[in-house]
Amino acid sequence: MAAAAPSVFLLMVNGQVESAQFPEYDDLYCKYCFVYGQDWAPTAGLEEGISQITSKSQDARRALVWNFPIDVTFKSTNPYGWPQIVLSVYGPDVFGNDVVRGYGAVHVPLSPGRHKKTIPMFVPESTSKLQKFTSWFMGRRPEYTDPKVVAQGEGREGGNTEAVIPKAAWICLPAWLTLSFCPQ
Amino acid sequence: MAEVHVIGQIMGATGFSESSLLCKWGVHTGAAWKLLSGVREGQTQVDTPQIGDMAYWSHPIDLHFATKGLQGWPRLHLQVWSQDSFGRCQLAGYGFCHVPSSPGTHQLDCPTWRPLGSWREQLARAFVGGGPQLLHGDAIYSGADRYRLHTTSGGTVHLELSLLLRHFDRYGVEC
Repeated sequence: MAAAAPSVFLLMVNGQVESAQFPEYDDLYCKYCFVYGQDWAPTAGLEEGISQITSKSQDARRALVWNFPIDVTFKSTNPYGWPQIVLSVYGPDVFGNDVVRGYGAVHVPLSPGRHKKTIPMFVPESTSKLQKFTSWFMGRRPEYTDPKVVAQGEGREGGNTEAVIPKAAWICLPAWLTLSFCPQ
Repeated sequence: MAEVHVIGQIMGATGFSESSLLCKWGVHTGAAWKLLSGVREGQTQVDTPQIGDMAYWSHPIDLHFATKGLQGWPRLHLQVWSQDSFGRCQLAGYGFCHVPSSPGTHQLDCPTWRPLGSWREQLARAFVGGGPQLLHGDAIYSGADRYRLHTTSGGTVHLELSLLLRHFDRYGVEC
């Protein structure tokens, strides 16, 4: 075991954003990005991506399939700040604008091997009724200026001034995103 | 010093009769433990289930402890509150669970309870809200004075925690 010098280890993540189930929405695309601590740095691969736009399948599953590859390697000296993948799903509203349909985040699995994770997606909701009506009327939902805030623990109590809407409670959509991971 | 990394999420809660739930969580450790990185306590967002009764928080937990002894292994204590449309919070349950001690990923289900109070307080809670709460949070994770309490059960909080342990073999601890 090495003595005082910090040792560097690599974390290789291969996987894909497989599919999603959003019963109410169609024609969606997803963006992923990674959030990690200060001791981590990506060494290879892409740490952000945007997928294609997909429509629901016609069969009973009604799944939205992306099959979007994720391929990134991190190096670090400390497990603290283990990377999380943050996913944001967007789709068109009635007027044709792109609005956010859900945010979700999960830690990259800690053990080597194949993992399949299904994550729930959230949408921030305004707490004031006037804002809810305005956003429905204008077709603009509350949205985070930086989706990475979804992966953080602090500031979720509702006083988040970074968001477009200052006070947001989250509603959980009945939506599922399936990811497959193979970290080494 | 031996080190413990706790990395995971408070996924959500099921079985509560109230909707619009939030969870305040904290980690309590013994005197030999030191928190090197991470926040020791926090609060999730308020989540309203749209389908089914599971409220999802997906609240990340990332803690790095250093320790000189096994006593006081970390315990996660939780308070689940429900928020009504006026923004008032009412207690839905207290719960605690030990952080697992073997490395790997663990799915944990933490049951919760809340103090019951007299029949007058129960009636008031049903109509007006409120209800008795603990004055000191340590009754949640310690067994010392529990015999005084009369409680009723709340729902279950679901967590997924992964453990990484380092240098325990130097001290003769097998894990």
